[in-house]
Amino acid sequence: MSDIVTIKGLKYGLQLTFAKGATFDDVQANLLDKLQSGNGFFIRGTTVFVPKGYFAEEQNEALRKMFHRHGMLFSTELKRPNLAPPSRDRDAAKTSEQKLKASVEEAQKMMVINHTVRGGQEVKANCSVLICGNVNPGAQIIAGGSIDIRGTCRGFVHAGAFGDKTACVVADRLMPAQIRIADLIARAPDEPEQVSQAERAMIRGNQIIFEPVSR
Amino acid sequence: MSQILVITSGKGGVGKTTTTANIGVGLAMRGNKVALIDTDTGLRNLDLLLGLENRILYDLVDVTSGRVQYKKALVRHKKFENLYLLPTSQIKDKSAVNPEQLVKLCDEMRKDFDFIIIDCPAGIEQGFKTAIAAADTAIVVTMPEISAVRDADKIIGELGRADKENIKLIVNRIRPQMVEKGDMLDMGDIDEILSVGCIGQVPDDESVVVATNRGEPVITMNGSTAGQAYKNIVARLCGESVPFLKPQKEGFFARLKKLFGLL
Repeated sequence: MSDIVTIKGLKYGLQLTFAKGATFDDVQANLLDKLQSGNGFFIRGTTVFVPKGYFAEEQNEALRKMFHRHGMLFSTELKRPNLAPPSRDRDAAKTSEQKLKASVEEAQKMMVINHTVRGGQEVKANCSVLICGNVNPGAQIIAGGSIDIRGTCRGFVHAGAFGDKTACVVADRLMPAQIRIADLIARAPDEPEQVSQAERAMIRGNQIIFEPVSR
Repeated sequence: MSQILVITSGKGGVGKTTTTANIGVGLAMRGNKVALIDTDTGLRNLDLLLGLENRILYDLVDVTSGRVQYKKALVRHKKFENLYLLPTSQIKDKSAVNPEQLVKLCDEMRKDFDFIIIDCPAGIEQGFKTAIAAADTAIVVTMPEISAVRDADKIIGELGRADKENIKLIVNRIRPQMVEKGDMLDMGDIDEILSVGCIGQVPDDESVVVATNRGEPVITMNGSTAGQAYKNIVARLCGESVPFLKPQKEGFFARLKKLFGLL
């Protein structure tokens, strides 16, 4: 049974070949079995190639639907992706690598705001943000990295805006109306608390926690 | 060298116009030649507070559109000879005057006056932008109330964006009893958020309403605490260092009365 369909890994996807004499129903049942077993071959987004003309058009359509249901692409044009010039692809890989590197570098950079950010003002940065001043109510700070406020924070702050869960927010007096880190949101308690010490907000155990820091 | 001040606040009803009238009168009482420009086109009030409504011939829109010389539109105060008002139109709206026109007008007036005080409309739109365009110094008026403080904060931000570095603060309508009980923001809270040099703390005073209705600014009334506070503001604007008024405590009898009232 297991030899009805042979899977061969290609650079751009998976090539399927079928045992001689196997019927379409056999093939379909076998593939479904493999898809549901989740053996690691069929990763979402992979393209699966079936030799053109091997099955009838409507049978191909049935396979296409089956693969789509499992998040994969189906193609009978084995050669098409191969046509892409390899050099260009290497470039693409390189640029994506560069992009990643650049974004890491970007996150390590820091923007310095040397004044109080007042209500209605907004600071947006891909990198981390250092504010030498207060963040007043009604102000917004959105940073790809962490946020450090050398003053009182009463506004709205969002650190790790691109999903960096390690980002944190530090302020001499951290009393924001709302704080977001990555995709988590916390809001100020309805009864305002007096804050007397510098605090850091960070994610721990899927929630935002505040802890005192000395500086 | 003459100074151009703009009195602004963001929020309406905090006392911009009252402050403008009182500072104007105060500076004039000290012998300065003062011009007040009302830029709240369509909602003009400054003439009422000064009791000059019936003397208006031309207005700011007539001047900026080039119909008359500004000297023709100026209304001289009936009591203080070196205080002039340039009223605005009650018919037109804020779009009738643009920032360039006001800058040009102020440059022209600068030669003739020691102080030019511009009364700014509420809001942060066109009218505000026009009013602040010519100013050297901005005086932000606020009240000990979170919405007024929030708006003042926003206005200070806007002034910063317009490169107005010289910003001063007046906190108006303070009620010492409420502050004492913790029901009202105190100066510390306001300072902490706005962090702008404060030049005045004006108590809430019934005599302001009386004065407004009479068309005589409260600064001319003796014995009024608000009037005294405005006098101090004027002194500070002239470079004197005057301590802030102590919040008036309730007198012994008032407390006694309250005590019996409670019992």
